[in-house]
Amino acid sequence: MIIEIGHFSVVIALVLAVFGIVSSSLALRTRDADWVRAGRMALTLIFILLSVGMAALIYSFLARDFSVHYVATNSNSQLPLFYTIAAVWGGHEGSLLLWVFILSTFSTIAVWLHWRTQPAIMPYLIGMECLVILGFLLLILFLSSPFDRLIPAPPDGKDLNPLLQDPAMVMHPPMLYMGYVGFSIPFSFAMAALLSGRLGEEWIKVTQRWTIFAWVCLTTGILLGGYWAYYELGWGGYWGWDPVENASFMPWLVGTAFLHSVMVQEKRKMFKVWNLFLIIVTFSLSLIGTFLVRSGVLTSVHTFATDPERGLYILIFVTTIIGIAFGALMLRANKLKSQIEMDSMVSRESVFLFNNLFFLVATATVFLGTLYPLMIETWQGAKVTVGPPYYNTVFMPIALGLLFLMGVGPYIPWRKASQASLKKNFLIPVVVGVVSTVVLFVLGIRSLFALTGAFVVGFSGAAIFIDVGKISSLYARRESINLLKGFFSAFTANQRRYSGLVTHVGVLVLVVGIIASTVYQTEKVVSMRVGDEFVMDDYRVKLERIHDVRGKNWSAQEGVFEVYEGDTLLTKLRPQKRVYDASQTPTTESAIYAKNMGHIFLTMPDVSADGVAVARGVINPLILWVWGGGGIMGLGVLLNIFRPRKRDE
Amino acid sequence: MMVAKKKVGMIVSILLVGGALGYLALGNFGENVVYFFTPSEVKAFSTDYYKKKVRVGGMVVEGSMETYPDRLGLTFQLTDGEATIPVTFEGIPPDLFKEGQGAVVEGYWTGEHRFESNLIMAKHSEDYMPIELKRAGVELPRKDFMKSLVE
Repeated sequence: MIIEIGHFSVVIALVLAVFGIVSSSLALRTRDADWVRAGRMALTLIFILLSVGMAALIYSFLARDFSVHYVATNSNSQLPLFYTIAAVWGGHEGSLLLWVFILSTFSTIAVWLHWRTQPAIMPYLIGMECLVILGFLLLILFLSSPFDRLIPAPPDGKDLNPLLQDPAMVMHPPMLYMGYVGFSIPFSFAMAALLSGRLGEEWIKVTQRWTIFAWVCLTTGILLGGYWAYYELGWGGYWGWDPVENASFMPWLVGTAFLHSVMVQEKRKMFKVWNLFLIIVTFSLSLIGTFLVRSGVLTSVHTFATDPERGLYILIFVTTIIGIAFGALMLRANKLKSQIEMDSMVSRESVFLFNNLFFLVATATVFLGTLYPLMIETWQGAKVTVGPPYYNTVFMPIALGLLFLMGVGPYIPWRKASQASLKKNFLIPVVVGVVSTVVLFVLGIRSLFALTGAFVVGFSGAAIFIDVGKISSLYARRESINLLKGFFSAFTANQRRYSGLVTHVGVLVLVVGIIASTVYQTEKVVSMRVGDEFVMDDYRVKLERIHDVRGKNWSAQEGVFEVYEGDTLLTKLRPQKRVYDASQTPTTESAIYAKNMGHIFLTMPDVSADGVAVARGVINPLILWVWGGGGIMGLGVLLNIFRPRKRDE
Repeated sequence: MMVAKKKVGMIVSILLVGGALGYLALGNFGENVVYFFTPSEVKAFSTDYYKKKVRVGGMVVEGSMETYPDRLGLTFQLTDGEATIPVTFEGIPPDLFKEGQGAVVEGYWTGEHRFESNLIMAKHSEDYMPIELKRAGVELPRKDFMKSLVE
């Protein structure tokens, strides 16, 4: 009964989405404010109805109602409570419902939030959001409904995929979707700007916080996914250029280009068409990302059984949205010609330009690598994959180039930089960069990636450090306070700029972690019996015993490994080889010990009947910098979003 | 005059950087594309394909799996119903790798008619069958079965 209430609510939401589109069109035609208010009412009701739909589905999971097909395929009576809630978005039907639920939440918030200040935008915003909502609701109700019954009900469910029974997986999809969906707000404002002909900078200023909020959600989602892959898939890496990782990475790349590029329009009124183009591409890639993951066209751990109908529908829907957006952009492009020319190649504008160029080439690379197999299969019938080495080769120089620009951008003046200012701003950073490279070289490091990385990280880091030092001492002198207080005073007075730099510092930390943990990773695989030991770098790993352990819905063989440094026992690691009861699926659970910002990572992929265990040890130096860097990036964004409003905002 | 010159300089430098990046992206592409084959196709390989990295999908033959007594790795037979090839593998197979199940192996077909692999991807074959076929209990045509392994 409960699930039918949810189903019915979602059906009404679909009708209201149609109404929302009609009422906002009428609002534009008749200029009657009542139609706009009706649209707002429709959108708000959609939000409430979809909340009911979500609640009904969650309830069915908690009540373990296996007469609901989706519940039966994605949960089991023994599944712990925590994962039972996560199972709601563990399969594609539920995750699509989550997608559209988040979309309705965000658009309702946006409409109420900007209602008074942006009245002219409202009909477009409501219409556009209702259009996207409609597209998803059609898909959910007609092609992949989580509300279908399964009669007669099976005695028990099939269980959630054991790999997804993990805390990081609980938060990963919602964060990712909040990122995807968050970009729909600046997208809708951009469409409103295009369709209404109000092509100034306002849409950018109004949506700046939405953009950065979406960006941080997407970043967090991606990092959580990487973290999950790291300890749950048991291979010791966090990024494998899997098609689905790529699908989330593409909107991130263009979104990052966008949030930099808008600054040029704000400050210099340039790049107008470009910014509209970028946000359209960002949101389109968010939709395509959903399409790639949910249609099952790509080979991946995330994709489910292929359903051509569903794939075709999503393709048509995505094409429609992209078609409308680019159509509008083309119609208006002539009106958008910027009157301002770029003054010099050596200027902040041009750094932003190259920033965008790098990000777009990166996106094109991922796009090519991800979709090329599809194209080849369609045209030649051959099956191919594009391997990780391709992406690694292409991304290394692009990433280093971007890091270098990151050190230049904030310190090069707008319009035109004089030679004197270049020397003043960049002499010391260049010296620091060179010194870091030389030091690493002397220490015996020969990897080109690490050495170039040291230069750009040293350069960009020094640039930021000098800036912060200078401005803090300036404020300290001006207000006669100590340097630390001067720092906080300077920070709060220029919070938008310095919160951005905090994020940049996070990026630097992250990159150091990535370089160290990829270039200097050591791996060792051994077969051993109880009592045997093996040596890995400075550590000695001894298998003390193997015993059986029992969890709520799984049983496992657990190896107890003693890790020694010299003769001192550092820790006992307990990796497991689990078998989940319901699905009889085996999984390999890793055990991790953190030391010197790095990890000693241990798995036990196999134990034979006669007691021989296969152990795999990985040492990942500075891996904590990867996650720590991500945390600092997030902190920077929070400081940006919650900065005090200035008068001109 | 000055403006025109500046514009040319700007366009040239964008093209240069863009071109270099584009070359980077496209120039590395060809050698990193790995093709997928069936055991039958592998058996029919001409010498051009020896030593070329490929992926092969098929079913692991029941009772064919053997481990080495002294080192990690295993040998097994991979079949598509028509042809069967012997595979040697160095490393740790994934959790879902089992006899009688589907698997995709990556590696090289040697002249000695042996497939040397360093990567195995395994899947629950039953999860990848179209539901209608599973319900009807119909044996999958070979082609669809192969397709189900990759998708």
